[in-house]
Amino acid sequence: MKRSRFPLIVTLLVLLFFYLPIMVLVINSFNASRFGSGWEGFSLIWYRRLFDSPEIWRAVQNSLVIAFGATLLSLLLGTTAAFALHKYARSRLQRSHYLLIYTPLVVPEILTGISLLMFFVALGWELGLWTIFLSHVTFCISYVAMVVLARLQDFDYSIVEASQDLGADWLTTARKVLLPMLAPGLTAGGLLAFTLSIDDFVISFFVAGPGSTTLPIRIYSMIKHGSPPMINALSTLLLVITFSAVVVSQRVGEGTPPGS
Amino acid sequence: MKNNWRNSCFSALTMVLLLSLFFVSCGQKTRELNVYTWADYFKPELIERFERENNCRIVIDTFDSNEAMYAKLKAGAKGYDLVTPSSYMVSLMDQQGMVRKIRPELIPNRKNIDPEFLKITIDKSMDHSVPYMITVTGIAYLKSRVADVRPTWALFDRQDLKGRMTMFNDMRETLGAALKSLGYSLNSHNPEELDKAKEVVLRWRKNLAKFENEQYKSGLASGEFLLVHGYSGDILQVQKENPDIAFTIPEEGTAISCDDLVIPLGAAQEELAHKFINFLLDAKVAAENTEFVGYLCPNRLSYELLPREMRENPALFMEPSVRSKSEVLDDLGRANELYIRVWDQIKAAE
Repeated sequence: MKRSRFPLIVTLLVLLFFYLPIMVLVINSFNASRFGSGWEGFSLIWYRRLFDSPEIWRAVQNSLVIAFGATLLSLLLGTTAAFALHKYARSRLQRSHYLLIYTPLVVPEILTGISLLMFFVALGWELGLWTIFLSHVTFCISYVAMVVLARLQDFDYSIVEASQDLGADWLTTARKVLLPMLAPGLTAGGLLAFTLSIDDFVISFFVAGPGSTTLPIRIYSMIKHGSPPMINALSTLLLVITFSAVVVSQRVGEGTPPGS
Repeated sequence: MKNNWRNSCFSALTMVLLLSLFFVSCGQKTRELNVYTWADYFKPELIERFERENNCRIVIDTFDSNEAMYAKLKAGAKGYDLVTPSSYMVSLMDQQGMVRKIRPELIPNRKNIDPEFLKITIDKSMDHSVPYMITVTGIAYLKSRVADVRPTWALFDRQDLKGRMTMFNDMRETLGAALKSLGYSLNSHNPEELDKAKEVVLRWRKNLAKFENEQYKSGLASGEFLLVHGYSGDILQVQKENPDIAFTIPEEGTAISCDDLVIPLGAAQEELAHKFINFLLDAKVAAENTEFVGYLCPNRLSYELLPREMRENPALFMEPSVRSKSEVLDDLGRANELYIRVWDQIKAAE
């Protein structure tokens, strides 16, 4: 029987739909034309301009500091929240806890942003990296908790009991049993938190203070008054970095056999 | 033992990271001037010079629309010492008491501001704002494709360009153009005048490819559009790529957009902010910023310091007779609803 070509064509179309815009962006980052109206020749001018503009690098730095910090803290808090939710799922307290964790996922960003701003203003806090960091942790916790919770659904708790029966203290159990079992969930949650944090615009815009412009805020303001091609160049660099990170993490993952 | 050591190593690292976050946000000791502005609105070398001369640091943060910036300051965000909103937003902020008065004695360079331009601004006495950059709305077209152009808004009536023209998707700009073509003020509050303007826009609309705010630049550069309603600052940039593009300002008068320097109520460095405003009004500094941004600093003494091709460019310098008929877009207050209704009717019409 001849296999149908249809799935292949659909797959190709979907891939094209996903990656064509990115390819256009990468190609345009080498275009000498400022408005991308046509090909005006190969040029590295936007890359040179990019490396010459300290404000963009400051924004990149801010974004990275916040994203790494928010990922770490939200992983910690989100995982513990997921444990509590899983272990005591039946109690009324945990059911309202679940609701509280779940709500930030469905509240519109602009609402979160403006209410956080009003909250910080009411407390009299100075706006800055701290407030962006706290806001990002706030919404990242929910995502991490949901991802880890999903992983816990098919987690056999008797393994933990077995480990304790065999004389392991709590720390050893956590490190030798829990952590390896949950690693995929933690990685997924952490990556999700990192991506959400690094490209958040709406919430960051409201809670940012003097000197804490993040990369998305900077990019949005450049679209109106600056040079968009520089953004193409920056995005291309970020793409290269993310793709290499994914490749490296996959290589590392292949090196260690599961469960060891 | 080894495990414990590794664990404590990890927590120590986390602590260091969090602490560094803390120090990054509030560790500096030198004076700081926090400027909240559009991207790429000051020449970086000039910023460095001011920092050196005044032994301070300038921190620049950016916003992408007047409205977003307003929402943020209105909600109580503090810490910014200098903001650069457009004039209509400045009047709104002033009405709500969100900006400080300018102290004239701290800005001796304010005498450099072009008095001709000051006549048409909203805050004529520089009571709470100082004009920084202006850009003019006009008509850009391809010289080789559009013959005998007369500088008038009636260009949008031309049948031979049907389907190859765009106007702004912006009620103030496009209704403003129609109001001007009829000889009215583009800040008119009169419903009858607006009704007539609506008829004009409906007539023009039949000849337009679309209402467009962004793509008109690339569309004109590539020849997709032959004649567009555009900002002088943007057109100057496109002209660098396609020398076939010409810019003209309709003789009936047009809209002038102006971004002002204002000191918000929550400013901590009021004196340094004044000093920075004074620095920006210096003739040489203004000329350098004009060259860098592509908009015009309305600074009388800076004009002669500009390169010749800029001095002779009609996108930067308007004919005095046209300038006297032009206006700065002002906050409409209650009449805003009237404009929105008329604009909705235009967009909904077949």
